[in-house]
Amino acid sequence: MKRIGLVLVMMLLAVSAASAQQVRIGGHGGTDTVILEEMIELFIRPALEGTGITVQYEPIADDFQRYIVNALSAGTAPDLFYLDSFWAGSVMRSGTVEPLNAYLEKSTVLRGEDIVRSLLDAFTIDGQIYGIPKDFNTLAVFYNKDLFDYAGVEYPSNDDNWDTFYEKLAAVAAIDPDIYGLALPPEYARFGALAHAAGFTPFDENGATDLFDPAFVDAFRWYTEMGLEGVGVMPADISQGWGGGALASEQVAAALEGAWILGSLRDEAPNMQYGATLLPKHPQTGQRGNIIYTVAWGMNANSPHKDAAFRVLELLTSEEVQQWILERGLAIPSRVALADNPYFTQDNVEAQSNYTVFLGASDGNVLPFSFGVYGGDWMQPIDQALSAVLSKQVGWEEALREAQTRLDAVMQR
Amino acid sequence: MRNLSLRRAGEKLAPYVLLAPFLFTLIIFFGYAFVRVVYFSFTNYDLFQQPQWVGLKNYVDIFRDMDFARAMKNSLTFMAVVTTAQTLFALLLALFLNQKVRGMKFFRAAYYMPSVASSVVVTLIFIWFFQRRGVLNFLISKFNEYRNVIVLFLFAAAVLQLLQVGWEKMRKRPVTLMEPAFLFLSLLVSFMLMFAGVRLGFIPTRDVAPADIIWFNTIKTWPSFLGPLSFSVPLGAIMMFNIWTTSPTFMLLYLAGLQDIPRELYEAAAMDGAERWHVFRYIIVPQLKPITFLVVTMGLIGTLQMFDQVAILGAQAPRQSIITLAYYIYTNIFPSSSSPRVGMASAAAIFLALLTFVIVAAQRKVLGSEGDGGHV
Repeated sequence: MKRIGLVLVMMLLAVSAASAQQVRIGGHGGTDTVILEEMIELFIRPALEGTGITVQYEPIADDFQRYIVNALSAGTAPDLFYLDSFWAGSVMRSGTVEPLNAYLEKSTVLRGEDIVRSLLDAFTIDGQIYGIPKDFNTLAVFYNKDLFDYAGVEYPSNDDNWDTFYEKLAAVAAIDPDIYGLALPPEYARFGALAHAAGFTPFDENGATDLFDPAFVDAFRWYTEMGLEGVGVMPADISQGWGGGALASEQVAAALEGAWILGSLRDEAPNMQYGATLLPKHPQTGQRGNIIYTVAWGMNANSPHKDAAFRVLELLTSEEVQQWILERGLAIPSRVALADNPYFTQDNVEAQSNYTVFLGASDGNVLPFSFGVYGGDWMQPIDQALSAVLSKQVGWEEALREAQTRLDAVMQR
Repeated sequence: MRNLSLRRAGEKLAPYVLLAPFLFTLIIFFGYAFVRVVYFSFTNYDLFQQPQWVGLKNYVDIFRDMDFARAMKNSLTFMAVVTTAQTLFALLLALFLNQKVRGMKFFRAAYYMPSVASSVVVTLIFIWFFQRRGVLNFLISKFNEYRNVIVLFLFAAAVLQLLQVGWEKMRKRPVTLMEPAFLFLSLLVSFMLMFAGVRLGFIPTRDVAPADIIWFNTIKTWPSFLGPLSFSVPLGAIMMFNIWTTSPTFMLLYLAGLQDIPRELYEAAAMDGAERWHVFRYIIVPQLKPITFLVVTMGLIGTLQMFDQVAILGAQAPRQSIITLAYYIYTNIFPSSSSPRVGMASAAAIFLALLTFVIVAAQRKVLGSEGDGGHV
């Protein structure tokens, strides 16, 4: 008897769920959970009133990429989920992410043209759009004003090139052996922006990568020599996990990070006076470089109610929602219409930092943080070369030769 | 009659019924999974498209992969060093803890702690321990700074001990070289002398630069005279830690084994005038042979499958320095932002299973199995 009752209850639940059309949303855990829940409460639920669509946020605390690959393959993925440009390539090619072109054509509130082109391109393969970017980030120089004041050096500014920037950092580093100018994580994810400024692109017209490209070598040596001269330091060497941690420790005067640093500075160094400025220009090319990080909403191709899911997607990427996210200092909107934003003129350091990060996307040689089918495997040899040189184990030439060999092996696989 | 045969049939069936729940999970989660992995190892499966038969391609590919060769070398080195060290260390610990000393229960619990704590938590502590400005480098710096003092301390203690023992011997009293009461006094006096010496400036401490050993973020290998046989420094750090966390479990096995050795054997040995070393060599080691077989087998299997400590260390050390076979399999199923290579991962998993099997079988040949070791 009990069992029959249970089956009945489950059937009832299934029926009510079908008629209510519950749309499941998958995203990161941690702070995202709080933000998404609040956003859903404020904007999504009221707008969906009477449509019979309900929304459920499913935070994933673990490695999100691994989760979504598993869930998509097993058919248990949520209806809408985060797609990070860094790993989206292989997921979009798997056939389990719904192309959105047809929905966008029908929609009255969300069209392809509404979204910043370069962001949308990161989720487009052969004209098929697989994700609607929700926001983006770029790198900027975040610096500790107190340390520059103490050293009597001018703050980094938008006029700096690599040489003047280096001089300023060296002057700060001269205060004390335990104080450094710049955090130098041994990662292409940060260093790459400088390589781009020098004119490097990850893949040439034949799809090959040449680490002995003069532009790459130039950036590589500038970055590593800063570490060898004691002007910069790897965060791990001062027991920090990343540039933001190093900056918050006040042992390092500057770090190249995105707007994601703001939240952690608020928590870890609430009394620190800091500022943000654009990355320095390369002295010869006169250009800046940068990397764009962007996350989109993707739709599950096997979702039982795609139209309801798209309705929710429209709301998630609406102007009000993006403005709300921006004003809370969380991320930069992906909608073209929000570029001229009164928020950016506000006179506080977080608004100004966000504006700097926003400007970084359109100044100089800016490339998305994604490496085609190779993904993170492409960066790894370079990261190891940076680490080996910065920890004084090998010279730059030997490190790059080894990295090139390893990279060729990755690309032949 | 009929009733009886039915009962007999029931009795015969009973064990299988009782085994069924376990067999069920075994068949589903190991048997079926194993068959699937064997099948996948001959296909190009990527979790999304239908798997296509590619024959032995995956097996050829893994042997061409530089990372696989490194993983293989790291795993084998790790296995050899850790299994040897943890077995010896566990035996020593057990011998020590088998003595009748006051507060032994505390020591037993204390030594077992590293094995009880969660492997993930312990690994996080471990990362902190091996930081460039972490505890280990601090201890090494301190050791370098006070090296003279430590040597002098030991020397002074030895001299004091010899003086005391000599004095007693001259008076024809029966004392051993390590007489505990004298030893305590020697160490205490020596320590006081050193403390005073350093404080008053008679004994200079060395002024050395703090140790700056990079434990993780390095591709350096050690020891250098072994050439290609040497292992990377980060792997060495993992070895040290793994030995520390796994030895106590094996110590427990040895301790149980030691308490099983019949008292008569010791008594007989004492009657024959056997020294400590002889007791160890001719009674304890042979009596513990079945335990040693178990410890070594479990050690070999455990070390060949070592994964968690490498995975948590992750990006802190260059992949080539720490990759093991189990981690290689994992990185192929969940590569950073490219398509899963289930075929290659499965081929590597089958290879690891075969390798484990062969090594354990070889070990069985060398050490002899459980049955024929034991009782003299």
